[in-house]
Amino acid sequence: MFKLSRLTFSRSRSSLASVIPGPGGTVEAVTPEGTSRRAFLEGTGAAVGTAAVVLATPKVVALANEAPGASVPIEPAAKPVSQSGPAPYEPVTAYVRNAEAGEVTVMAGQQETTYKDPVLVKRLLDAAR
Amino acid sequence: MSSHREAPEISKDPVADNTDTYAFVSPDKPETVTIITNYLPTEVPAGGPNFFEFGNDVLYSIYIDNDGDGLPEITYEFTFESKLSNPNTFLYNTGPIEKLESPSWNKRQFFTVTRIDESGRTVLGSKLACPPCNIGPRSTPDYSKLAEEAIHSLSGGQTVFAGQRNDPFYVDIGSIFDLGDLRPFQNLHLIPTAAEPGVDSLQTLNVHTIAIQVPIASLTSNGKVPSSVMSASAVLGVWGSASRRAIRITDGAKSEKSEVGPWVQVSRLGSPLFNEVIIPLGLKDEWNARQPVADSTFLSHVQKPELSGLLPVLYPGVFPELEKLDKSSAERADLVAIFLTGLPEGIIPGFQNYNGGKVQAEMLRLNVAVPPASKPNVLGLLGGDLAGYPNGRRVIDDVTTISIRAVAGLTYPLVEPKYKPDEAAEGVTQGITPLPFRTQSVFPYIGIPHDGYDFPSSTR
Repeated sequence: MFKLSRLTFSRSRSSLASVIPGPGGTVEAVTPEGTSRRAFLEGTGAAVGTAAVVLATPKVVALANEAPGASVPIEPAAKPVSQSGPAPYEPVTAYVRNAEAGEVTVMAGQQETTYKDPVLVKRLLDAAR
Repeated sequence: MSSHREAPEISKDPVADNTDTYAFVSPDKPETVTIITNYLPTEVPAGGPNFFEFGNDVLYSIYIDNDGDGLPEITYEFTFESKLSNPNTFLYNTGPIEKLESPSWNKRQFFTVTRIDESGRTVLGSKLACPPCNIGPRSTPDYSKLAEEAIHSLSGGQTVFAGQRNDPFYVDIGSIFDLGDLRPFQNLHLIPTAAEPGVDSLQTLNVHTIAIQVPIASLTSNGKVPSSVMSASAVLGVWGSASRRAIRITDGAKSEKSEVGPWVQVSRLGSPLFNEVIIPLGLKDEWNARQPVADSTFLSHVQKPELSGLLPVLYPGVFPELEKLDKSSAERADLVAIFLTGLPEGIIPGFQNYNGGKVQAEMLRLNVAVPPASKPNVLGLLGGDLAGYPNGRRVIDDVTTISIRAVAGLTYPLVEPKYKPDEAAEGVTQGITPLPFRTQSVFPYIGIPHDGYDFPSSTR
């Protein structure tokens, strides 16, 4: 079961940096210079931790990438709803930095992380239509 | 004043701060209406090296409600774009600017004006040049000529201008915000000092003006020029606003900011002084973000204005009738009419600016069937001049004195004939006679801006 919405929107600021996909995962944090955030954290001995996130398999991501218009049975499609209230004081914000490269930047609190996450990019682009 | 830095949030965002809105039948072209919205409060003329300009990231709007529903049937939108000719100099201009195409003018601004009505969006003009700021005798030796070049004719007999002017609003800010002091009457203040003439705090400062002149028939609900003052179609509701995109991203790798999301209104202005004086501090930002159609939320602040209760306290013994009125259960229906519904027929002989009363919505209400006055009175309706505020608003109108007198009870007899206003309500004034260069007799009706060489921020 995919939980990208949790990865992106429900994570606390403190846990954001530590949630890094395991080997074979497809979500990768990159610095603006292109350095892998995962590699940086591993290099400094930082614990990856037990990310409570089930990540996409490469096959699913490939499907998402290669068939942007296709219906991928990952999660129910996003549905427009009425806003339940005002925006929070510091909203977690994601924006597509580079659609073709599958890069999405997530800002939470004072942190900004850019991920390579084609599936999330696709979901965001779908939601933007 | 009248809406210069009037709310906490907008006071920190000058390029989006709508300082004044004016709407009047053009005195020299009475078949047209001129609408003016000013922004960028308290511009110091000596504003170099980065002289003032409109916000390229701001959407400026003028709204017209011609059927009294509190919503705009016609909108004019203005967006701006700056062009830098030579990025390798620190100078705004590298020589005298003698015409708008002058190669020595380095940083220019252009604008697009769009009309939105029931037929859709129509771009009336694009890449329209703004004039430069008025720098000084070496840089802008013939400023009037430059400003005239920046008046653009549009289709349908419309005319537009966007650029720097002097701030025509005259007010004694320093006195009024010193515990409601009015210098001519400060000997009667709770903390008295000798009476003095008023001080025109803004007389050496500039603003940025958007002005558009439109044939009346292009604005009324039936597309006709009304012949009767009592015709419902003769009344236009007018207000201005500024909006920003919902999200802005400042990226250190880019020199320009990224923006996305819908336009969100951050400033609006119809009647002068409404958000400034009527709306309490904790609600001013919310008021700026709302549309007039939602203004019934603020009704209680109009019915029982705080200033009305303060005047008898600040001027002991001067406003006894007002004090009684304040302490009664009476609500100020006169102010509700002036600000939120317009004055219906039968209140002032031969006049109304009541556009239906479907909603309580704050905006200027202009009866376009009232011809321009041959001898305008700066006190507008209170001075017997039906063409002046609060019938729309002209540049010359002394809206501060009019508003203080109205709040002091002078207009209450309009709804309660038995009420006898205090003598002071008729005589109270801010005591300012503006210098003549503040206005001009032709479009855009506001005088040219003060130049930075001759007008430092403090007087010599």
